[in-house]
Amino acid sequence: MEAYDVAVIGGGILGCFAARNVRRWNLSVALLEAAEDVCTGITRANSAVVYAGYDNKPGSRKAEMTVRGNGNYESLCRELEVPFCRCGSLLVTYDGASLPKLQKKLSEGLKNGVPGLRLLTGAEAQAMEPMLRPGVAGALYAPSTGTVNPWLLGIAAFENAVENGATAYRNTAVTDIEKTDTGYLLKTNRGPIPCRTVINCAGLFADRVQELLFPRSTRLHWDGAEYLVLDKAAPKPRMVLFHQASSCGKGITAVPCVEGNLLISGVRKEIETPFATTPEGLRELHRAAKALLPELDLNQVIRSFAAVRPNPYREGGQSLHDFCIENPGPGFYSLIGIKTPGLTCAEELGRYVAQEAAAFLKAQPNPDFNPHRHAIPKSDDSKIVCQCQGITRSEILEAIRRGASTVDGIKRRLGSGMGPCQGSRCAFAIETILEGYRNGTL
Amino acid sequence: MEHYDLLVIGGGAAGIAAATAACGAGCASVAIVDRKPTLGGVLLQCTHRGFGNNLTGIEYARQLLKDLPPEVTLIFNTTVLSVEDTRVAHLSGGRRLSFSQLILATGCREIPMGALPIAGTRPKGVYTAGQMQEMMNLHGFVPEGPAVILGSGDLGLILANQLAQVGIPATLVEKQAHCGGLTRNRKCLGDSHVRLICGQTVTEVSGQKKLEACHLSGGDWIVCKTLLLAVGLRPERTLVSHLGNPIWLHLCGNCNTVHPMVEGVLSEAIQAGQTAWETMREHG
Ligand SMILES: Cc1cc2nc3c(=O)[nH]c(=O)nc-3n(C[C@H](O)[C@H](O)[C@H](O)COP(=O)(O)OP(=O)(O)OC[C@H]3O[C@@H](n4cnc5c(N)ncnc54)[C@H](O)[C@@H]3O)c2cc1C
Ligand SMILES: Cc1cc2nc3c(=O)[nH]c(=O)nc-3n(C[C@H](O)[C@H](O)[C@H](O)COP(=O)(O)OP(=O)(O)OC[C@H]3O[C@@H](n4cnc5c(N)ncnc54)[C@H](O)[C@@H]3O)c2cc1C
Repeated sequence: MEAYDVAVIGGGILGCFAARNVRRWNLSVALLEAAEDVCTGITRANSAVVYAGYDNKPGSRKAEMTVRGNGNYESLCRELEVPFCRCGSLLVTYDGASLPKLQKKLSEGLKNGVPGLRLLTGAEAQAMEPMLRPGVAGALYAPSTGTVNPWLLGIAAFENAVENGATAYRNTAVTDIEKTDTGYLLKTNRGPIPCRTVINCAGLFADRVQELLFPRSTRLHWDGAEYLVLDKAAPKPRMVLFHQASSCGKGITAVPCVEGNLLISGVRKEIETPFATTPEGLRELHRAAKALLPELDLNQVIRSFAAVRPNPYREGGQSLHDFCIENPGPGFYSLIGIKTPGLTCAEELGRYVAQEAAAFLKAQPNPDFNPHRHAIPKSDDSKIVCQCQGITRSEILEAIRRGASTVDGIKRRLGSGMGPCQGSRCAFAIETILEGYRNGTL
Repeated sequence: MEHYDLLVIGGGAAGIAAATAACGAGCASVAIVDRKPTLGGVLLQCTHRGFGNNLTGIEYARQLLKDLPPEVTLIFNTTVLSVEDTRVAHLSGGRRLSFSQLILATGCREIPMGALPIAGTRPKGVYTAGQMQEMMNLHGFVPEGPAVILGSGDLGLILANQLAQVGIPATLVEKQAHCGGLTRNRKCLGDSHVRLICGQTVTEVSGQKKLEACHLSGGDWIVCKTLLLAVGLRPERTLVSHLGNPIWLHLCGNCNTVHPMVEGVLSEAIQAGQTAWETMREHG
């Protein structure tokens, strides 16, 4: 096998954007994903917020990439035909003593170049978002905050990378790495793959993947978050709301998603079982949600789930706050512990590492790169399979043609099974269509 | 645009009976739209006896259909996507119908896992009871045992019966102090494969990919590969929730209130069919 110029390990949103951006250069690229599909890791379970950039230290890589990434989101989502909503956000506090914290975020945000950022009085915040519980002491308003569907965006970048010539290997886990004269040899469950450079985007396992060849440097400590999803029909706030943890309860984020559902989340510091919610956690989340938005109808919750967050620590215990991009060997780049705002910065990070690899390989720009990808078109097929979301058989077939191989893969591409019945009426029908497609009986 | 004096959405017991009653009263232009390829709705997945005069659901549907006048237009494999207050219905496939009277007979939907306060992972192997009934009775699916069934109402009991028949052990978990279903459905409780635990609920599930166990509020973990949720039904009427209460709209069957017995569905549907025709004659 001829060596790829670049091998990207991991097909989460970061790997997909890295592969897309490598193709902006005249470089061959392979994307290796352990799971049967792309975007099934962290990318599948996060808060879906496109951050404005006031949370990050001025001068940091995070601050710079977040503000720039946020500013480019409309054009990025237009290129990739993914819905994006710039709904704005409020960081609210009910505690007068916390106002200096908002002040600090305001001044740092302004330094970072966040547009339109300003402090509101409680009354102003409440007028903007009447669902808030009365008694707001103050709020930081960021009109540039937005929301996007993270896995849909990742899949769009993946499709775009493949259309531009990237080679995708799914069900392919990197189990060992060797250094060779010309680069690296990636050992996988499906045979060795030689390459000249490596971009390690292995998400929760990025530390372990790097340690397959290099000495231990940064380790990921996992913590988590829990989520509630409300039915589209439930009343919801217009903007993204952040409520910081205080004496009156857990901090939460409420996000009116592009699909129309409200997503409510809270962080959990200690996790016993990854990707598992706890009874106490869910109870606390319910309580905190009601405390912020008393009119919320929690009978309209249609799903709850847990996420895992990789927090990078230096050997020795020091926690890292900026994006950690390591270069442990020639032409080897690792994105380690890219948590919030990795979604906001996916294209920025992808561009950055692709550029590093291109500089190392002395590559030229690819004049044929096409940044456009087309969404799966709405069909007017009368056969609706997912009744809640109005998804047709033709659309499902198109998702399969584009690489979905499971009911969940179709769900991620089309939103099937994400309505109030949560797939109880369509999962079997979709499984049958998949089987028909596999057997060639369709 | 195609026009019908009466449009019936949903061709289950309620829709069939309502259309039959309206025709009987004199309404000549009636259409039933159903997303499925046949009439009968939930009856078609009921292989157990207990409908009318001890018939199975399938037999009962056949009997109902004998009375349905042949002039009723049947539109299958078509979902009604929305209804406008200008009395126009938008159908999948881009078709539109106008109507004078509308009968909503869309049945009910089940409460899925996500809507319940059950913590833990999100493994495969969790189904709603009606979903499993349809998979078993219409598609020959056999779930992996042992199973836990949450809710001991009629639906839970009917499933426990069916699982017992194929030798799959099932534990019914009931929040109330007593089993909820009709006496005739409780015969499964005598089966050695079926166990009933009252006064408890499932609080948590475990298993990363596939379901491994359910945790009960009493503290025990029950090892299982399948969890069936039979915890209640919600009327399906999102199609008309924005309409208020116009005189041309009539609801019947499980989309109006969830009925334990098909007789209740029928009497409500017959009433709706007749009222629709009377309203049509008075107001157009
Ligand atoms: C709880 C939470 C909330 C968040 N909310 C936001 C937000 O609101 N806004 C925002 O901007 N960012 C947010 N983020 C950050 C953002 O979600 C992440 O930065 C981003 O999704 C990380 O993507 P990834 O590609 O690194 O990881 P993943 O999606 O996990 O992808 C890594 C992939 O690598 C594969 N892999 C692992 N090991 C191997 C191997 N050995 N061989 C082959 N493949 C391998 C995995 O299977 C996986 O698919 C949040 C993160 C978390 C955890
Ligand atoms: C599992 C189960 C077991 C039962 N067992 C018994 C029993 O033993 N004895 C007894 O007397 N009663 C029993 N019942 C009660 C009763 O028989 C049923 O509730 C009754 O058949 C329901 O009729 P329905 O027409 O209201 O609803 P359904 O039969 O659910 O009909 C609704 C129809 O509407 C269609 N539809 C919905 N939305 C749309 C849309 N947007 N566009 C197009 N079509 C649409 C659906 O496809 C369906 O065909 C049982 C009920 C259930 C659920």
